[in-house]
Amino acid sequence: MTHLTLSNLSKQFSGNTVVQDFNLDVKKGEFVSFLGPSGCGKTTTLRMIAGFEVPTSGKVTLDDVDITDRAPNQRNVGMVFQAYALFPNMTVAQNIGFGLRIRRESGAAIKERVAEMLSIIHLEQKGNSYPYQLSGGQQQRVALARALANRPQVLLLDEPLSALDAKIRVQLRAEIRAIQRKLNTTAIYVTHDQEEALSISDRIVVMYEGRIEQIGTPFEIYNFPQTAFVASFVGTLNTTSAEVVDPAQKLLQIDGVQLQTAEDLANMHKGDKITIAIRPERFNFAAVEKKANILDCQIENITFLGSVVRIQVAVGSNRFYMDTFNNPFLELPKIGAQDQVTCSREAVLVLKS
Amino acid sequence: MKRSGVIWSWFWMILGILYFFLPLVATFLFSLRAKLGVLSFLAYTQLFHDSNFIKDFSFSVLWGLLTIIVGIVIFVPTAFWVRLKVPQVRTAVEFVTLLPFVIPAIVFVFGLVRTFSHPPFLIVNSPALLIAGYIVLSMPYMYRSIDTGLRSIDVRTLTEAGQSLGAGWGTILFRIILPNIRVAILSGAFLSFAIVMGEYILAQYLAKPAFAPFLAYLIQEKAYEPAAATIISFALTWACMGIIQLVGRGGPQAQLAGGH
Repeated sequence: MTHLTLSNLSKQFSGNTVVQDFNLDVKKGEFVSFLGPSGCGKTTTLRMIAGFEVPTSGKVTLDDVDITDRAPNQRNVGMVFQAYALFPNMTVAQNIGFGLRIRRESGAAIKERVAEMLSIIHLEQKGNSYPYQLSGGQQQRVALARALANRPQVLLLDEPLSALDAKIRVQLRAEIRAIQRKLNTTAIYVTHDQEEALSISDRIVVMYEGRIEQIGTPFEIYNFPQTAFVASFVGTLNTTSAEVVDPAQKLLQIDGVQLQTAEDLANMHKGDKITIAIRPERFNFAAVEKKANILDCQIENITFLGSVVRIQVAVGSNRFYMDTFNNPFLELPKIGAQDQVTCSREAVLVLKS
Repeated sequence: MKRSGVIWSWFWMILGILYFFLPLVATFLFSLRAKLGVLSFLAYTQLFHDSNFIKDFSFSVLWGLLTIIVGIVIFVPTAFWVRLKVPQVRTAVEFVTLLPFVIPAIVFVFGLVRTFSHPPFLIVNSPALLIAGYIVLSMPYMYRSIDTGLRSIDVRTLTEAGQSLGAGWGTILFRIILPNIRVAILSGAFLSFAIVMGEYILAQYLAKPAFAPFLAYLIQEKAYEPAAATIISFALTWACMGIIQLVGRGGPQAQLAGGH
């Protein structure tokens, strides 16, 4: 059942459209990430859900109740900010219990809930500390506990890990996900970090210039990008223009080299120009394994990336990346050598223009 | 630092101390000479037995406190709202708050008298006009102190965090914003208090009892008591500054934006 619905949501600032016709249904307990570059409208959309921005048009519905015109403090929506936003004059326990005190819950109930939240974020000993006595990671965990203490219908997280260093970020995102699952809270998470979005989300909404480019599971977004933007923004992808040779046979041509795709070309005609994409890890050397498409190439560069070795090959006038897992016995080709790479039909994705 | 540099530093520091404290010490010593041939607190005793001193001093303290309270009620929400909702008017508001520095107090008083001595604003005899005048005179100190305090915290995010937790504007202002700019408010409050205690023109021309006009009268009439009153006035101001230092030292609000 749909829990949170955003219908035709748009937002303009001084005639400049920052969010356009945004539609999304979120299920109870789902973790949805808004992913996109700076200025794509993801934070504005989140702020419209929180009530900090009033939509120019469209509707926000929570459990079938239209909350579009409700004040932020009337929405029962929790929010975690990038800058933590803990109240400096209050202890950790007072911060966590703030929302409960606003709701005039009894002292005993507040104490119990605060203890429960402290236990969930593993900061039982820090209840009497002030925010400035905590590390950044600890402060953000307190901010999360504070937002969840009120049992919000939706938890909104606005780039909550951006201010933290890489190691803590990875650790904390796993904690956020575990806590969200444990409490079965619906969560909307804003990030520009694709790895973060892919690792934490049930579904990802990829946004660009105020519009939704694609909505899908991390698996779908990564493996089946539908637009050139999603393809370029999420992961590394080889994209190039191609010409339809035979729609029935799903046959394409790049620089005179023929390729087969598994995608439906029924609506296309011979000679149509399209954009195709192939993930680097979908290529292999043809000497190891032969697949549907075999391309002659020249090895141009080899980059060692730790667990992966990235090989740049020239196929005609196109430059493609090929990723292969590192192992100590890997035999790498010589730079400048002629070789052949291969990929399956399914690896050749046709992008929407 | 070179030895000559150290010597010069000490020289200028001692010169500064002498410049500021010598007149004060001289005034203090003079205030102790009311009794011929011996040092005594006779001038202070006589001052505290003067009913006019008690009355005028008390009134000034009362005006000062009322100025602080009304000033906080006016300027805290104003500075908060300007910073949060209409930051584009901040420059204009800052300009307005500096006007008391530009407009001479005497011009201001005559403006008040002309405007508020005719119906429908016939309030020239009301203490409210005096307090309103004091608020205007203390505005540069009060508003700017509060604004500086607000600048040291992330007003927008703290406000939004409060809202997302269900807090209304009153709760946000009194339980989140005010405690975090407490020291700034106190600084502004005590500066306002010092302004009110030393302000002569408003009280004199609006014919209200106050400490500064009493001091002026005392200087004309007596020898040692004005010096004693000056020392009391200084002591009061220093006490206020001491309280600012005490309240502002350490505490959880000292960190605000840092901590990560």
